[in-house]
Amino acid sequence: MLQKKVCLLGGFGVGKTSLVQRYVQSIFSDKYLTTVGVKIEKKMVNVGAAEVALILWDIAGEDDITGIRTSYLRGAAGYFLVVDVTRGETLEVSKSIQARVTAEIGSVPFLFLFNKTDLQEQWDIPEQSVEDLKDAGHVVLRTSAKTGEGVEEAFQTLAQRMVL
Amino acid sequence: MPDLPDRISEWLLLLVKSQRSIAHLLINNELVLIQAGGELEYYGLGDLKHGDSASDQLPFLEGLLPLAETPFLLESVGMAGGAVADVHLFADEDRTWVVLLDVTVEHDQARKMQQKAYDMTLLSQREARLIAKLEAAHKELTLTHRDLAQSRDELLRVHTRLRKELHDAQHYVLAILPAPVVEPIAVDWLFVPSTELGGDSFGYQWIDGDHYALYLLDVCGHGVGSALLSITVANTLRSRALQNTDFRRPEAVLSSLNQAFQMENQNGLYFTMWYGVYHRPTATLRYASAGHPPPILVSGAREQRGKAELLPGAGCPVGILPDFPYESEECTLAGPARLFLFSDGAYEIMRPDGNMLEFEDFEEVLTRAVPEGASELEELLQFARDFHGSEELDDDFSIIKMTI
Repeated sequence: MLQKKVCLLGGFGVGKTSLVQRYVQSIFSDKYLTTVGVKIEKKMVNVGAAEVALILWDIAGEDDITGIRTSYLRGAAGYFLVVDVTRGETLEVSKSIQARVTAEIGSVPFLFLFNKTDLQEQWDIPEQSVEDLKDAGHVVLRTSAKTGEGVEEAFQTLAQRMVL
Repeated sequence: MPDLPDRISEWLLLLVKSQRSIAHLLINNELVLIQAGGELEYYGLGDLKHGDSASDQLPFLEGLLPLAETPFLLESVGMAGGAVADVHLFADEDRTWVVLLDVTVEHDQARKMQQKAYDMTLLSQREARLIAKLEAAHKELTLTHRDLAQSRDELLRVHTRLRKELHDAQHYVLAILPAPVVEPIAVDWLFVPSTELGGDSFGYQWIDGDHYALYLLDVCGHGVGSALLSITVANTLRSRALQNTDFRRPEAVLSSLNQAFQMENQNGLYFTMWYGVYHRPTATLRYASAGHPPPILVSGAREQRGKAELLPGAGCPVGILPDFPYESEECTLAGPARLFLFSDGAYEIMRPDGNMLEFEDFEEVLTRAVPEGASELEELLQFARDFHGSEELDDDFSIIKMTI
Protein backbone atom coordinates (compact mmCIF):
# COMPACT_ATOMS: atom_id res chain seq x y z
CA MET A 1 0.00 0.00 0.00
CA LEU A 2 1.22 3.42 -0.91
CA GLN A 3 1.55 6.07 1.77
CA LYS A 4 1.90 9.78 0.88
CA LYS A 5 2.59 12.60 3.28
CA VAL A 6 0.54 15.68 2.48
CA CYS A 7 1.02 19.01 4.29
CA LEU A 8 -1.61 21.71 4.65
CA LEU A 9 0.06 25.09 4.72
CA GLY A 10 -1.05 28.70 4.83
CA GLY A 11 -1.63 31.65 7.08
CA PHE A 12 -3.40 31.24 10.39
CA GLY A 13 -7.18 30.99 10.39
CA VAL A 14 -7.51 30.11 6.70
CA GLY A 15 -9.33 26.83 7.44
CA LYS A 16 -6.67 24.13 7.15
CA THR A 17 -7.97 22.16 10.14
CA SER A 18 -11.56 22.58 8.96
CA LEU A 19 -10.64 21.20 5.53
CA VAL A 20 -9.04 18.12 7.11
CA GLN A 21 -12.02 17.61 9.43
CA ARG A 22 -14.43 17.97 6.50
CA TYR A 23 -12.40 15.52 4.40
CA VAL A 24 -11.61 12.92 7.06
CA GLN A 25 -14.62 13.11 9.40
CA SER A 26 -17.21 14.95 7.25
CA ILE A 27 -17.79 17.51 9.99
CA PHE A 28 -17.54 21.28 10.25
CA SER A 29 -17.61 23.74 13.12
CA ASP A 30 -17.93 27.52 12.86
CA LYS A 31 -15.87 27.90 16.01
CA TYR A 32 -12.27 28.81 15.26
CA LEU A 33 -9.72 26.73 17.19
CA THR A 34 -6.12 27.55 16.47
CA THR A 35 -3.56 24.82 15.83
CA VAL A 36 -0.23 24.66 17.64
CA GLY A 37 2.41 22.35 16.25
CA VAL A 38 0.93 19.71 13.99
CA LYS A 39 -2.00 17.30 13.95
CA ILE A 40 -1.76 14.21 11.82
CA GLU A 41 -4.67 12.34 10.24
CA LYS A 42 -4.85 9.42 7.86
CA LYS A 43 -7.31 8.92 5.00
CA MET A 44 -7.47 6.21 2.41
CA VAL A 45 -8.11 7.20 -1.19
CA ASN A 46 -8.22 5.31 -4.48
CA VAL A 47 -6.18 6.56 -7.40
CA GLY A 48 -6.99 4.43 -10.37
CA ALA A 49 -6.47 0.86 -9.20
CA ALA A 50 -4.12 1.88 -6.42
CA GLU A 51 -5.13 2.39 -2.82
CA VAL A 52 -3.23 5.24 -1.27
CA ALA A 53 -3.00 6.26 2.37
CA LEU A 54 -2.82 10.02 2.64
CA ILE A 55 -1.00 11.10 5.81
CA LEU A 56 -2.37 14.58 6.33
CA TRP A 57 -0.18 16.99 8.28
CA ASP A 58 -2.32 19.85 9.51
CA ILE A 59 0.44 22.29 10.34
CA ALA A 60 0.05 25.42 12.47
CA GLY A 61 -0.57 28.47 10.35
CA GLU A 62 1.99 31.12 9.73
CA ASP A 63 1.72 34.52 11.35
CA ASP A 64 3.84 37.66 11.43
CA ILE A 65 6.09 36.24 14.14
CA THR A 66 6.18 32.51 13.62
CA GLY A 67 7.00 30.96 10.27
CA ILE A 68 6.26 27.38 9.37
CA ARG A 69 8.63 24.83 10.87
CA THR A 70 10.47 23.34 7.94
CA SER A 71 11.11 20.15 9.93
CA TYR A 72 7.43 19.31 9.45
CA LEU A 73 7.89 19.32 5.68
CA ARG A 74 10.48 16.58 5.59
CA GLY A 75 9.28 13.69 3.47
CA ALA A 76 6.17 15.48 2.09
CA ALA A 77 5.00 14.14 -1.27
CA GLY A 78 2.66 17.05 -1.86
CA TYR A 79 1.02 19.97 -0.17
CA PHE A 80 -1.85 22.40 -0.20
CA LEU A 81 -1.49 26.16 0.04
CA VAL A 82 -4.72 27.29 1.68
CA VAL A 83 -6.00 30.84 1.17
CA ASP A 84 -8.89 32.53 2.98
CA VAL A 85 -10.78 34.35 0.22
CA THR A 86 -12.18 36.84 2.72
CA ARG A 87 -8.65 37.95 3.69
CA GLY A 88 -6.65 39.05 0.69
CA GLU A 89 -3.39 39.11 2.63
CA THR A 90 -3.48 35.31 3.10
CA LEU A 91 -2.81 34.87 -0.62
CA GLU A 92 0.53 36.65 -0.26
CA VAL A 93 1.34 34.49 2.78
CA SER A 94 0.69 31.33 0.75
CA LYS A 95 2.81 32.53 -2.16
CA SER A 96 5.64 33.30 0.25
CA ILE A 97 5.35 29.84 1.85
CA GLN A 98 5.39 28.17 -1.54
CA ALA A 99 8.76 29.70 -2.36
CA ARG A 100 10.24 28.54 0.94
CA VAL A 101 8.79 25.03 0.67
CA THR A 102 10.28 24.61 -2.79
CA ALA A 103 13.66 25.68 -1.43
CA GLU A 104 13.34 23.22 1.46
CA ILE A 105 12.01 20.03 -0.13
CA GLY A 106 12.26 20.68 -3.84
CA SER A 107 9.51 20.57 -6.41
CA VAL A 108 6.59 18.38 -5.37
CA PRO A 109 2.92 18.64 -6.43
CA PHE A 110 0.87 21.31 -4.73
CA LEU A 111 -2.46 23.06 -5.17
CA PHE A 112 -3.76 26.45 -4.14
CA LEU A 113 -7.05 26.08 -2.29
CA PHE A 114 -9.19 29.24 -2.20
CA ASN A 115 -11.18 28.37 0.88
CA LYS A 116 -14.36 29.83 2.47
CA THR A 117 -16.04 30.34 -0.88
CA ASP A 118 -19.39 30.19 0.91
CA LEU A 119 -18.63 33.75 2.08
CA GLN A 120 -19.02 35.09 -1.44
CA GLU A 121 -20.16 38.56 -0.33
CA GLN A 122 -16.94 39.02 1.65
CA TRP A 123 -14.65 38.02 -1.23
CA ASP A 124 -11.48 40.06 -0.84
CA ILE A 125 -9.21 38.73 -3.59
CA PRO A 126 -9.01 40.36 -7.02
CA GLU A 127 -10.05 38.00 -9.80
CA GLN A 128 -6.86 39.00 -11.58
CA SER A 129 -4.81 37.40 -8.79
CA VAL A 130 -6.49 34.08 -9.49
CA GLU A 131 -5.81 34.47 -13.19
CA ASP A 132 -2.17 35.34 -12.48
CA LEU A 133 -1.73 32.09 -10.52
CA LYS A 134 -3.29 30.08 -13.32
CA ASP A 135 -1.13 31.85 -15.88
CA ALA A 136 1.91 30.83 -13.82
CA GLY A 137 0.84 27.19 -14.27
CA HIS A 138 -0.54 26.68 -10.76
CA VAL A 139 -3.72 24.77 -10.03
CA VAL A 140 -6.28 26.79 -8.12
CA LEU A 141 -9.34 25.12 -6.65
CA ARG A 142 -12.19 26.73 -4.79
CA THR A 143 -13.25 25.04 -1.58
CA SER A 144 -15.59 25.51 1.33
CA ALA A 145 -15.03 23.39 4.39
CA LYS A 146 -18.44 24.61 5.55
CA THR A 147 -20.43 23.37 2.55
CA GLY A 148 -17.95 20.74 1.41
CA GLU A 149 -17.64 22.37 -2.01
CA GLY A 150 -14.47 21.26 -3.80
CA VAL A 151 -12.96 19.48 -0.76
CA GLU A 152 -13.10 15.90 -2.01
CA GLU A 153 -12.00 17.07 -5.45
CA ALA A 154 -8.99 18.88 -3.97
CA PHE A 155 -7.59 15.86 -2.13
CA GLN A 156 -8.33 13.55 -5.04
CA THR A 157 -6.59 15.91 -7.46
CA LEU A 158 -3.46 16.13 -5.32
CA ALA A 159 -3.42 12.37 -4.78
CA GLN A 160 -3.49 11.79 -8.53
CA ARG A 161 -0.69 14.27 -9.07
CA MET A 162 1.44 12.56 -6.43
CA VAL A 163 0.83 9.02 -7.65
CA LEU A 164 0.45 9.20 -11.42
CA MET B 1 26.67 19.86 27.65
CA PRO B 2 27.78 21.04 31.10
CA ASP B 3 29.92 18.64 33.12
CA LEU B 4 27.36 17.59 35.73
CA PRO B 5 28.01 15.38 38.76
CA ASP B 6 26.49 11.92 38.40
CA ARG B 7 24.00 12.60 41.21
CA ILE B 8 22.65 15.65 39.43
CA SER B 9 22.42 13.78 36.15
CA GLU B 10 20.52 11.02 37.88
CA TRP B 11 18.27 13.55 39.62
CA LEU B 12 17.55 15.32 36.32
CA LEU B 13 16.68 12.01 34.71
CA LEU B 14 14.29 11.20 37.53
CA LEU B 15 12.78 14.68 37.22
CA VAL B 16 12.15 14.33 33.48
CA LYS B 17 10.74 10.84 33.89
CA SER B 18 8.39 12.04 36.64
CA GLN B 19 7.16 15.07 34.70
CA ARG B 20 7.17 13.80 31.11
CA SER B 21 5.48 10.67 29.98
CA ILE B 22 8.16 9.00 27.95
CA ALA B 23 7.76 6.38 25.27
CA HIS B 24 10.47 5.00 23.02
CA LEU B 25 10.62 3.04 19.80
CA LEU B 26 13.43 1.38 17.91
CA ILE B 27 13.33 0.89 14.17
CA ASN B 28 15.82 -1.01 12.09
CA ASN B 29 17.26 -0.12 8.70
CA GLU B 30 14.48 -2.06 6.99
CA LEU B 31 12.03 0.36 8.66
CA VAL B 32 10.60 -2.40 10.82
CA LEU B 33 9.64 -1.79 14.44
CA ILE B 34 11.91 -3.96 16.56
CA GLN B 35 11.37 -2.53 20.01
CA ALA B 36 8.89 -0.32 21.88
CA GLY B 37 8.54 0.69 25.48
CA GLY B 38 7.59 3.33 28.02
CA GLU B 39 4.16 4.88 28.29
CA LEU B 40 2.92 3.81 24.88
CA GLU B 41 -0.75 3.68 25.95
CA TYR B 42 -0.57 7.37 26.89
CA TYR B 43 0.19 8.20 23.26
CA GLY B 44 -2.40 5.81 21.85
CA LEU B 45 0.32 3.40 20.73
CA GLY B 46 -0.67 0.37 22.79
CA ASP B 47 -1.30 -1.86 19.77
CA LEU B 48 2.12 -1.65 18.16
CA LYS B 49 3.42 -4.89 16.74
CA HIS B 50 7.08 -5.73 16.65
CA GLY B 51 8.27 -6.96 13.30
CA ASP B 52 5.76 -4.92 11.28
CA SER B 53 6.40 -1.79 9.19
CA ALA B 54 7.07 1.19 11.42
CA SER B 55 5.56 3.83 9.13
CA ASP B 56 2.37 1.79 8.63
CA GLN B 57 1.86 1.81 12.41
CA LEU B 58 3.28 5.26 13.06
CA PRO B 59 2.01 7.65 10.34
CA PHE B 60 4.09 10.57 11.61
CA LEU B 61 7.23 8.68 10.51
CA GLU B 62 6.14 8.68 6.84
CA GLY B 63 8.93 10.11 4.71
CA LEU B 64 11.31 10.71 7.64
CA LEU B 65 13.30 7.49 7.63
CA PRO B 66 16.09 6.93 7.08
CA LEU B 67 17.03 10.13 8.83
CA ALA B 68 18.61 12.82 6.68
CA GLU B 69 20.01 14.43 9.81
CA THR B 70 20.44 13.20 13.38
CA PRO B 71 19.25 14.05 15.90
CA PHE B 72 15.95 15.30 14.45
CA LEU B 73 13.06 16.87 16.32
CA LEU B 74 9.38 17.19 15.51
CA GLU B 75 7.82 19.60 17.98
CA SER B 76 4.27 19.49 19.33
CA VAL B 77 2.92 16.53 17.41
CA GLY B 78 -0.69 15.70 18.25
CA MET B 79 -0.95 11.99 18.95
CA ALA B 80 -3.91 9.67 18.51
CA GLY B 81 -4.54 9.47 22.25
CA GLY B 82 -4.99 13.24 22.55
CA ALA B 83 -1.59 13.83 24.07
CA VAL B 84 0.94 16.10 22.43
CA ALA B 85 4.57 15.05 22.16
CA ASP B 86 7.87 16.35 21.05
CA VAL B 87 9.18 13.55 18.87
CA HIS B 88 12.94 13.10 19.03
CA LEU B 89 14.64 10.87 16.48
CA PHE B 90 18.29 9.90 16.42
CA ALA B 91 20.35 7.27 14.68
CA ASP B 92 22.09 4.47 16.53
CA GLU B 93 24.35 2.71 14.02
CA ASP B 94 21.87 1.19 11.51
CA ARG B 95 18.86 1.70 13.75
CA THR B 96 16.79 4.71 14.66
CA TRP B 97 15.50 5.57 18.08
CA VAL B 98 12.26 7.48 18.43
CA VAL B 99 11.58 9.11 21.79
CA LEU B 100 8.29 10.75 22.66
CA LEU B 101 8.34 13.42 25.39
CA ASP B 102 5.02 14.72 26.61
CA VAL B 103 4.44 18.48 26.09
CA THR B 104 0.66 18.46 26.41
CA VAL B 105 0.52 21.04 29.18
CA GLU B 106 2.86 23.44 27.41
CA HIS B 107 0.95 22.88 24.16
CA ASP B 108 -2.39 23.71 25.77
CA GLN B 109 -0.98 26.87 27.35
CA ALA B 110 0.56 27.96 24.07
CA ARG B 111 -2.68 27.22 22.26
CA LYS B 112 -4.70 29.40 24.65
CA MET B 113 -2.33 32.30 24.22
CA GLN B 114 -2.19 31.86 20.47
CA GLN B 115 -5.98 31.62 20.29
CA LYS B 116 -6.35 35.00 21.99
CA ALA B 117 -3.67 36.56 19.84
CA TYR B 118 -5.20 35.25 16.61
CA ASP B 119 -8.72 36.22 17.64
CA MET B 120 -7.46 39.75 18.27
CA THR B 121 -5.53 39.81 15.02
CA LEU B 122 -8.53 38.59 13.02
CA LEU B 123 -10.69 41.27 14.62
CA SER B 124 -8.08 43.87 13.86
CA GLN B 125 -7.82 42.71 10.24
CA ARG B 126 -11.59 42.77 9.87
CA GLU B 127 -11.68 46.29 11.31
CA ALA B 128 -8.94 47.37 8.92
CA ARG B 129 -10.88 45.96 5.97
CA LEU B 130 -14.02 47.76 7.08
CA ILE B 131 -12.11 51.01 7.46
CA ALA B 132 -10.59 50.52 4.01
CA LYS B 133 -14.05 49.93 2.55
CA LEU B 134 -15.40 53.01 4.30
CA GLU B 135 -12.49 55.08 3.03
CA ALA B 136 -13.03 53.78 -0.50
CA ALA B 137 -16.74 54.60 -0.25
CA HIS B 138 -15.90 58.04 1.09
CA LYS B 139 -13.47 58.61 -1.75
CA GLU B 140 -16.07 57.54 -4.26
CA LEU B 141 -18.64 59.80 -2.65
CA THR B 142 -16.18 62.68 -2.77
CA LEU B 143 -15.59 62.09 -6.47
CA THR B 144 -19.32 61.82 -7.10
CA HIS B 145 -19.87 65.01 -5.14
CA ARG B 146 -17.23 66.75 -7.24
CA ASP B 147 -18.84 65.50 -10.44
CA LEU B 148 -22.22 66.67 -9.20
CA ALA B 149 -20.77 70.07 -8.35
CA GLN B 150 -19.34 70.32 -11.86
CA SER B 151 -22.69 69.30 -13.33
CA ARG B 152 -24.45 71.81 -11.11
CA ASP B 153 -22.08 74.59 -12.23
CA GLU B 154 -22.66 73.64 -15.85
CA LEU B 155 -26.43 73.57 -15.28
CA LEU B 156 -26.19 76.93 -13.59
CA ARG B 157 -24.34 78.36 -16.59
CA VAL B 158 -26.96 76.95 -18.96
CA HIS B 159 -29.74 78.13 -16.67
CA THR B 160 -28.29 81.64 -16.56
CA ARG B 161 -27.98 81.73 -20.34
CA LEU B 162 -31.54 80.45 -20.79
CA ARG B 163 -32.85 83.00 -18.29
CA LYS B 164 -31.17 85.76 -20.23
CA GLU B 165 -32.64 84.45 -23.47
CA LEU B 166 -36.07 84.18 -21.83
CA HIS B 167 -35.68 87.69 -20.51
CA ASP B 168 -34.89 88.92 -24.00
CA ALA B 169 -37.92 87.02 -25.34
CA GLN B 170 -40.10 88.54 -22.64
CA HIS B 171 -38.98 91.98 -23.71
CA TYR B 172 -39.84 91.11 -27.29
CA VAL B 173 -43.33 89.89 -26.27
CA LEU B 174 -43.98 93.10 -24.40
CA ALA B 175 -42.52 95.16 -27.23
CA ILE B 176 -45.01 93.88 -29.79
CA LEU B 177 -47.99 94.74 -27.57
CA PRO B 178 -49.60 98.02 -28.67
CA ALA B 179 -49.19 101.00 -26.40
CA PRO B 180 -52.30 102.25 -24.56
CA VAL B 181 -54.17 104.90 -26.54
CA VAL B 182 -56.38 107.74 -25.34
CA GLU B 183 -58.14 109.06 -28.42
CA PRO B 184 -60.38 108.76 -30.27
CA ILE B 185 -61.05 105.53 -28.41
CA ALA B 186 -59.29 105.01 -25.11
CA VAL B 187 -57.74 101.58 -24.67
CA ASP B 188 -55.63 100.57 -21.69
CA TRP B 189 -54.33 97.18 -20.62
CA LEU B 190 -52.47 95.19 -18.01
CA PHE B 191 -50.44 92.09 -18.75
CA VAL B 192 -48.65 90.06 -16.05
CA PRO B 193 -47.31 86.74 -17.29
CA SER B 194 -47.23 83.95 -14.72
CA THR B 195 -43.85 82.83 -16.00
CA GLU B 196 -41.42 84.95 -17.88
CA LEU B 197 -43.14 83.94 -21.09
CA GLY B 198 -46.91 83.52 -21.22
CA GLY B 199 -49.41 82.27 -23.73
CA ASP B 200 -51.55 85.42 -23.75
CA SER B 201 -51.39 88.13 -26.34
CA PHE B 202 -53.69 90.88 -27.57
CA GLY B 203 -53.98 93.84 -29.88
CA TYR B 204 -56.21 96.60 -31.18
CA GLN B 205 -56.02 98.60 -34.35
CA TRP B 206 -58.04 100.55 -36.92
CA ILE B 207 -59.04 98.47 -39.89
CA ASP B 208 -60.33 101.47 -41.75
CA GLY B 209 -61.63 104.90 -40.76
CA ASP B 210 -64.76 103.45 -39.13
CA HIS B 211 -63.85 100.00 -37.89
CA TYR B 212 -61.70 99.38 -34.82
CA ALA B 213 -60.63 95.80 -34.05
CA LEU B 214 -59.91 94.51 -30.54
CA TYR B 215 -58.76 91.01 -29.73
CA LEU B 216 -57.20 88.84 -27.04
CA LEU B 217 -56.01 85.27 -27.29
CA ASP B 218 -54.84 82.72 -24.74
CA VAL B 219 -52.71 79.79 -25.94
CA CYS B 220 -53.02 76.72 -23.74
CA GLY B 221 -50.09 76.18 -21.41
CA HIS B 222 -47.24 78.52 -20.57
CA GLY B 223 -43.62 78.98 -21.52
CA VAL B 224 -41.70 79.31 -24.72
CA GLY B 225 -43.89 77.10 -26.92
CA SER B 226 -47.12 78.85 -25.97
CA ALA B 227 -45.50 82.28 -26.26
CA LEU B 228 -44.15 81.54 -29.76
CA LEU B 229 -47.61 80.57 -31.04
CA SER B 230 -49.21 83.52 -29.26
CA ILE B 231 -46.75 85.97 -30.81
CA THR B 232 -47.16 84.41 -34.23
CA VAL B 233 -50.95 84.78 -34.11
CA ALA B 234 -50.69 88.34 -32.76
CA ASN B 235 -48.25 89.30 -35.52
CA THR B 236 -50.52 87.67 -38.12
CA LEU B 237 -53.45 89.77 -36.93
CA ARG B 238 -51.44 92.95 -36.56
CA SER B 239 -50.12 92.66 -40.11
CA ARG B 240 -53.44 91.30 -41.40
CA ALA B 241 -51.58 88.41 -42.95
CA LEU B 242 -54.63 86.16 -43.33
CA GLN B 243 -55.43 85.91 -47.02
CA ASN B 244 -58.97 86.44 -48.33
CA THR B 245 -60.17 87.52 -44.92
CA ASP B 246 -62.34 90.52 -44.15
CA PHE B 247 -60.94 91.74 -40.83
CA ARG B 248 -64.17 93.61 -40.19
CA ARG B 249 -65.98 90.28 -39.87
CA PRO B 250 -64.99 88.52 -36.60
CA GLU B 251 -66.37 85.12 -37.67
CA ALA B 252 -64.24 85.27 -40.82
CA VAL B 253 -61.12 86.11 -38.85
CA LEU B 254 -61.63 83.21 -36.42
CA SER B 255 -62.39 80.80 -39.25
CA SER B 256 -59.22 81.82 -41.12
CA LEU B 257 -57.13 81.48 -37.97
CA ASN B 258 -58.71 78.10 -37.30
CA GLN B 259 -57.70 76.94 -40.77
CA ALA B 260 -54.17 78.27 -40.42
CA PHE B 261 -53.38 77.10 -36.87
CA GLN B 262 -54.67 73.56 -36.45
CA MET B 263 -53.17 72.00 -33.35
CA GLU B 264 -51.64 68.99 -35.14
CA ASN B 265 -49.38 71.48 -36.93
CA GLN B 266 -48.70 73.48 -33.77
CA ASN B 267 -47.15 70.87 -31.51
CA GLY B 268 -50.55 70.12 -29.97
CA LEU B 269 -51.23 73.74 -28.99
CA TYR B 270 -54.58 75.47 -29.43
CA PHE B 271 -55.93 78.79 -28.16
CA THR B 272 -59.05 80.61 -27.08
CA MET B 273 -59.73 83.99 -28.58
CA TRP B 274 -62.18 86.84 -28.59
CA TYR B 275 -62.21 89.14 -31.60
CA GLY B 276 -64.44 92.20 -31.80
CA VAL B 277 -64.87 95.05 -34.27
CA TYR B 278 -66.32 98.36 -33.12
CA HIS B 279 -68.12 100.36 -35.81
CA ARG B 280 -67.71 103.85 -34.49
CA PRO B 281 -70.34 105.65 -36.64
CA THR B 282 -73.09 103.36 -35.34
CA ALA B 283 -71.53 102.50 -31.96
CA THR B 284 -72.04 98.89 -32.87
CA LEU B 285 -69.82 96.09 -31.62
CA ARG B 286 -69.64 92.93 -33.71
CA TYR B 287 -67.74 90.07 -32.08
CA ALA B 288 -67.03 86.36 -32.09
CA SER B 289 -65.58 84.05 -29.52
CA ALA B 290 -63.48 80.93 -29.85
CA GLY B 291 -64.02 79.37 -26.43
CA HIS B 292 -62.91 82.57 -24.73
CA PRO B 293 -64.33 83.99 -21.46
CA PRO B 294 -67.10 86.52 -22.20
CA PRO B 295 -66.03 90.16 -21.96
CA ILE B 296 -67.83 92.38 -19.47
CA LEU B 297 -69.43 95.64 -20.55
CA VAL B 298 -69.78 98.01 -17.59
CA SER B 299 -72.18 100.86 -18.28
CA GLY B 300 -72.25 104.09 -16.39
CA ALA B 301 -69.89 106.80 -15.30
CA ARG B 302 -66.52 105.69 -13.99
CA GLU B 303 -66.99 107.49 -10.69
CA GLN B 304 -70.17 105.58 -9.93
CA ARG B 305 -70.94 101.91 -9.52
CA GLY B 306 -71.67 100.59 -12.99
CA LYS B 307 -73.96 97.98 -14.41
CA ALA B 308 -72.29 94.85 -15.78
CA GLU B 309 -73.37 92.96 -18.85
CA LEU B 310 -71.69 89.86 -20.26
CA LEU B 311 -71.11 89.60 -23.99
CA PRO B 312 -71.45 85.84 -24.45
CA GLY B 313 -70.28 84.02 -27.49
CA ALA B 314 -70.10 80.34 -28.31
CA GLY B 315 -67.31 78.87 -30.31
CA CYS B 316 -64.71 76.15 -30.30
CA PRO B 317 -61.13 77.08 -29.40
CA VAL B 318 -58.97 77.71 -32.44
CA GLY B 319 -57.02 74.67 -33.63
CA ILE B 320 -59.30 71.87 -32.53
CA LEU B 321 -61.99 71.45 -35.22
CA PRO B 322 -60.83 72.48 -38.72
CA ASP B 323 -64.24 73.36 -40.14
CA PHE B 324 -65.90 74.82 -37.09
CA PRO B 325 -68.55 77.39 -38.18
CA TYR B 326 -67.82 80.53 -36.14
CA GLU B 327 -70.62 83.03 -35.82
CA SER B 328 -70.71 86.71 -34.87
CA GLU B 329 -72.87 88.48 -32.31
CA GLU B 330 -73.71 92.16 -32.38
CA CYS B 331 -74.61 94.77 -29.79
CA THR B 332 -74.70 98.52 -29.41
CA LEU B 333 -72.35 100.24 -27.00
CA ALA B 334 -73.97 103.23 -25.35
CA GLY B 335 -71.52 105.47 -23.51
CA PRO B 336 -70.39 106.12 -21.03
CA ALA B 337 -69.22 102.50 -20.78
CA ARG B 338 -66.13 100.39 -20.43
CA LEU B 339 -65.57 97.10 -22.15
CA PHE B 340 -63.28 94.71 -20.30
CA LEU B 341 -61.69 91.93 -22.32
CA PHE B 342 -59.57 89.45 -20.38
CA SER B 343 -58.11 85.94 -20.22
CA ASP B 344 -59.21 83.30 -17.72
CA GLY B 345 -56.12 84.00 -15.65
CA ALA B 346 -57.67 87.31 -14.62
CA TYR B 347 -60.47 85.68 -12.65
CA GLU B 348 -59.50 82.03 -12.08
CA ILE B 349 -57.67 82.97 -8.90
CA MET B 350 -57.19 80.46 -6.11
CA ARG B 351 -57.05 81.41 -2.48
CA PRO B 352 -54.45 79.82 -0.18
CA ASP B 353 -57.23 77.62 1.25
CA GLY B 354 -57.93 76.23 -2.22
CA ASN B 355 -61.18 78.13 -2.87
CA MET B 356 -61.56 79.77 -6.26
CA LEU B 357 -62.67 83.35 -6.88
CA GLU B 358 -66.28 83.40 -8.10
CA PHE B 359 -66.81 85.01 -11.49
CA GLU B 360 -69.57 87.13 -9.97
CA ASP B 361 -67.10 88.56 -7.44
CA PHE B 362 -64.71 89.41 -10.25
CA GLU B 363 -67.57 91.03 -12.12
CA GLU B 364 -68.51 92.98 -9.00
CA VAL B 365 -65.00 94.38 -8.67
CA LEU B 366 -65.20 95.71 -12.23
CA THR B 367 -68.45 97.54 -11.50
CA ARG B 368 -67.07 99.38 -8.51
CA ALA B 369 -66.79 103.15 -8.67
CA VAL B 370 -63.27 104.26 -9.43
CA PRO B 371 -61.88 107.15 -7.41
CA GLU B 372 -60.34 110.05 -9.29
CA GLY B 373 -56.74 109.32 -10.26
CA ALA B 374 -56.93 105.59 -9.49
CA SER B 375 -56.22 102.86 -12.02
CA GLU B 376 -59.00 100.31 -11.99
CA LEU B 377 -56.81 97.77 -13.78
CA GLU B 378 -54.09 98.11 -11.14
CA GLU B 379 -56.71 97.83 -8.41
CA LEU B 380 -58.11 94.72 -10.06
CA LEU B 381 -54.61 93.19 -10.15
CA GLN B 382 -54.08 94.02 -6.50
CA PHE B 383 -57.44 92.49 -5.67
CA ALA B 384 -56.39 89.30 -7.44
CA ARG B 385 -53.04 89.22 -5.61
CA ASP B 386 -54.67 89.84 -2.26
CA PHE B 387 -57.17 87.08 -2.94
CA HIS B 388 -54.39 84.71 -4.02
CA GLY B 389 -52.23 85.62 -1.05
CA SER B 390 -49.14 86.10 -3.20
CA GLU B 391 -47.67 88.51 -5.72
CA GLU B 392 -47.04 85.56 -8.05
CA LEU B 393 -50.21 84.44 -9.84
CA ASP B 394 -50.70 80.93 -11.19
CA ASP B 395 -51.72 82.02 -14.70
CA ASP B 396 -51.19 84.91 -17.11
CA PHE B 397 -53.15 87.96 -16.00
CA SER B 398 -54.26 89.86 -19.12
CA ILE B 399 -57.00 92.46 -19.35
CA ILE B 400 -57.86 95.21 -21.85
CA LYS B 401 -60.20 98.05 -21.14
CA MET B 402 -61.84 99.99 -23.95
CA THR B 403 -63.60 103.13 -22.83
CA ILE B 404 -66.44 104.55 -24.86
